[in-house]
Amino acid sequence: MRSSIDRFIVEELSSIVGEENIVFGLDRVESYLLDETPPPIRPEPCRDIVVVKPASTEEVSAILKLASDRMIPVFPRGGGTGLVGGCIPTRSGIVLCLERMNRIEIDIDNMIAEVEAGATLHDLIEAADKADLFFPPHPGDEYAQIGGLIACNAGGARAVRTGVMRNYVRGIEAVLPTGDVLKLGGKLLKNNTGYDIMQLIVGSEGTLAVITKAFIRLYPKLPFSITMVVPFDSRSKALKTVPAIMKSGITPLALEYVERIPVELSASRLGLEWPCRDGEAFLIIILAEQDEDYLYRLCEKLLDICLEFGSFEPIVAERRDEQDRILKIRSEIYTALKPGMVDILDVTVPPASIGLLMDRVEEIARSYGTYLPAYGHAGDGNIHVHIMREEGWDTRIYDDIRDRIYSVALELGGVITGEHGIGFVRKSSLLRFSNPVYIDLIRRIKQIFDPNNILNPDKLLP
Amino acid sequence: MSFHTIVLVKHVPDIEKVRFDVETGRIDRSSAPGEINPFDLNAVEVAVRLKEKLGGMVTALCMGPPQAESSLRDAIARGVDRAVLLTDSRFAGADTLATSYTLASAIRKIGRFNLVVCGEKTVDGDTGQVGPEVAEHLGIPHVAYVCEVREVYDNRLVVVSDMGDKFLVEVMLPALITVTRDVCSPRLPTLRDILRARRSRIEVWDADALSGFIDISRIGLKGSRTNVFRIVIPSEYHRRGVILRGSDSVSKLVEALRMEGLI
Repeated sequence: MRSSIDRFIVEELSSIVGEENIVFGLDRVESYLLDETPPPIRPEPCRDIVVVKPASTEEVSAILKLASDRMIPVFPRGGGTGLVGGCIPTRSGIVLCLERMNRIEIDIDNMIAEVEAGATLHDLIEAADKADLFFPPHPGDEYAQIGGLIACNAGGARAVRTGVMRNYVRGIEAVLPTGDVLKLGGKLLKNNTGYDIMQLIVGSEGTLAVITKAFIRLYPKLPFSITMVVPFDSRSKALKTVPAIMKSGITPLALEYVERIPVELSASRLGLEWPCRDGEAFLIIILAEQDEDYLYRLCEKLLDICLEFGSFEPIVAERRDEQDRILKIRSEIYTALKPGMVDILDVTVPPASIGLLMDRVEEIARSYGTYLPAYGHAGDGNIHVHIMREEGWDTRIYDDIRDRIYSVALELGGVITGEHGIGFVRKSSLLRFSNPVYIDLIRRIKQIFDPNNILNPDKLLP
Repeated sequence: MSFHTIVLVKHVPDIEKVRFDVETGRIDRSSAPGEINPFDLNAVEVAVRLKEKLGGMVTALCMGPPQAESSLRDAIARGVDRAVLLTDSRFAGADTLATSYTLASAIRKIGRFNLVVCGEKTVDGDTGQVGPEVAEHLGIPHVAYVCEVREVYDNRLVVVSDMGDKFLVEVMLPALITVTRDVCSPRLPTLRDILRARRSRIEVWDADALSGFIDISRIGLKGSRTNVFRIVIPSEYHRRGVILRGSDSVSKLVEALRMEGLI
């Protein structure tokens, strides 16, 4: 089968970025089609695409101008680590890869990183570290790219202390679908110049503009850290401890909840051992501070709280290698569950309601006779419930379970997604679980930015 | 009889984080925090398991700068009962011979013991010599690369040593063993033990504290038989990718390989 993309368009794109930065041909584009979305809910990608890899904002602008003139859909692509199909090309068009735009400059005195969109989170962490600074949040996979992290307003385990990606973006350079370049904000800590269009673009999932560069706020390092695992014999005891910790004035860098079955599955897949013999439900608590003595004073307080709420003896990793091992096991749970998984949800409720949410999820699981592994960011109310494949079930049942969990989240004052976003797979849920006035408004905003609907079509907007 | 194990630990920089000064060939110790040599964690775990099985006590012994106290606190949190730090500028610059002599002298001062356990090597020195040399100074039998401690009797020990092939070895006690990473997986300390260890007493001994057990001319740089002329840090090589297209790509490839001296 031949590509339906006009040879002439490919030549024009080649003249912008150079022939060597074009990937074209149905059999050559495989690695630009998918992201980390579980296969059962992932949209079928369109292979009839041309991949373009610009090296500058000017090149991105020229590409978008061409796409706009010819009404060709453009799918911006970062590291491909999304979980809702946000970068999957669903129509014939251009896949815009920013990977060549990966320069990072650190302004040490202003504590700001000027980062091109294709630099990875790993690159940013390393660059900040070399400048003796620190990028506090850890919004996901380290091979995610900065443009994608901003476009999706990524969250991650440290949001409880640090906030999400949005809180670190001080300025962006973005290209509108017309090819016009927009510079917003900069190395500024205050900016009150009218509507905050920059924050509108942050989290717009590549539907309003292509982010090419960002100014990211950095902080001094937190040189002393520990990772603690607190075992409990029940989910409810573990989750009841969370608000008590937060109210005590301790703000951990991360406050995660995990359960024995998924965590052991992840550990054994990695050839590691989960360090706790006791307990079924665990809190993973990371403390990071400037001062060592202060850190251990917090530990003493934390020990009292945990024991008061019925924990077994908490264990602690102080060494970097031992801390990394625990975090590795935690962060690979998704990969361990993925083969049997239909969907990963990221409902978010007010933090104090997390116990109620989990009780209701357990009820839903029981009523369907299934197991819904759940773990996640207990400190900020964002829990990942996994819907697992069951013999003989069809899509209707999985959708039903998902919608019941969404309804519970809304009932508790929450939202259907706290960090993964809408992408392709949550569009119908957004329509169902959002206020029609909101839906109308976002449609009109999209119309203003992208009247021809060429930028990441089929995403976010129901 | 109460079983007394002495475990030797070294305070080393976190090897993944530490930076090297390529010009001077020195380690920039401020670039990474110090910690127990990872191989020594297995030694501590072996010693603590023996205590749990047989009763008795574990003493950790470390030679290093004053900051090495933090490694000994970690050892206490992991189940060590007594910790001794040998620190003195006169100990500095020691090679494996002077180091092992100093450690052996301190062990003589500690007194009665049944077993000395060490990690198979350190991540910064990488020689694997200090353990066996300590045993030679003390005149006790030693087994290196122990991957399994099989049986402990009153006066003898049965272990499996991994020297490429595995050997079942029986030694008379007191003895010294160096253990590999396979011997056990070190447990994580409890929070309570870490907090207790922060308040525990570390005994600090200088060269004078070893008087009667040590010959000062055999320690530190002076007592070392190794002379370091130069340290060379190999430069990092990164993978380089070149995409060759077009009809002349084969000849370009041949040329590129020739330029690299590969053909």
